[in-house]
Amino acid sequence: MRGRDYLGEFEHIIVLALLRLEDRAYGVTVRQEIELRTRREVSIGAVYATLDRLETKGYVTSHRGEPTPERGGRSKRFFRVTAKGAAAVSRTHHALQRMTEGLGFTWSHA
Amino acid sequence: MEPRVTSQPNFVNPPSLAVWVLNLFVLAEKADSILGDLLEEFSLLASKLGVASARKWYWRQTIKTVPQLAGVGFRTAPWMTGAAVAGGFLLRKLVAPLVDPSIFAVLERYQVFEHHFSTYRFFASTGLDVGHFITFLCIGFIVAFSAREREMVATMALGLIYGGMAVAGAVCIVTSTGDDATLWRLTWYFADSLAIVTAGAIVRTHRLAATSHPSNA
Repeated sequence: MRGRDYLGEFEHIIVLALLRLEDRAYGVTVRQEIELRTRREVSIGAVYATLDRLETKGYVTSHRGEPTPERGGRSKRFFRVTAKGAAAVSRTHHALQRMTEGLGFTWSHA
Repeated sequence: MEPRVTSQPNFVNPPSLAVWVLNLFVLAEKADSILGDLLEEFSLLASKLGVASARKWYWRQTIKTVPQLAGVGFRTAPWMTGAAVAGGFLLRKLVAPLVDPSIFAVLERYQVFEHHFSTYRFFASTGLDVGHFITFLCIGFIVAFSAREREMVATMALGLIYGGMAVAGAVCIVTSTGDDATLWRLTWYFADSLAIVTAGAIVRTHRLAATSHPSNA
């Protein structure tokens, strides 16, 4: 359905990471945030491939920061969630809630 | 696009081979972000866990990131990449049948059979394989030049196509004739595929060197 797309699994995780990180969201922090909370190693390539896809869909925007010496003189690329992206993540979250209603999941720290 | 060494006394470089492999696949507009992020985390890990662990981490990231970069490279220019691969395939169809007759024509022109039989025997056997290898290398150069920024995607795709065709052909011959001596020819066919990919890596490396930052010290 146009305008009512749901996010894929990793897209959902990436957008949630961006919302948590706010102004600090760039490749390194996003990757580390996902690894910390999901306890799985994520490649920087997967992070950027997904961020690029989200940007194409209009769910996130990016801007370049200043180059820094610890990055070999390379600049950071910061990301922010757009209003359209926030709506998509909310839509996906509510859909998951409706799907899991009454299934009796017990939350365990796996 | 080697990372710059700074004046900080404890600055450590990530594995240069891994950096080179990443540079083969990363698009120019993504290079700063991806390579910069990897360098930043590598430095953090090196100071926390030691250089050896950081290097292993960097290699794991490289191996997992390269397929993603290749996928992005293809998805962002599928027609150009596809055209380069198709062009390379057609060029090979046109040029490959000319290799053997050309070599034999030269051997005949200089009467090698009469005057240098061992040389003739070499060129009439191994020389033909080397001739095909060089032909594939040249085709790889042409494909890489035309697939701007997607050199590795295009040449690897063409190399995989030829490798796959060689395996399929060898399996057909062996199953229909029972002659498994054909299997040793696969090494030359895989060498031909490797030649295409090698040409892609050479073109890409040369282009990066030509556009790299002025000071890499």
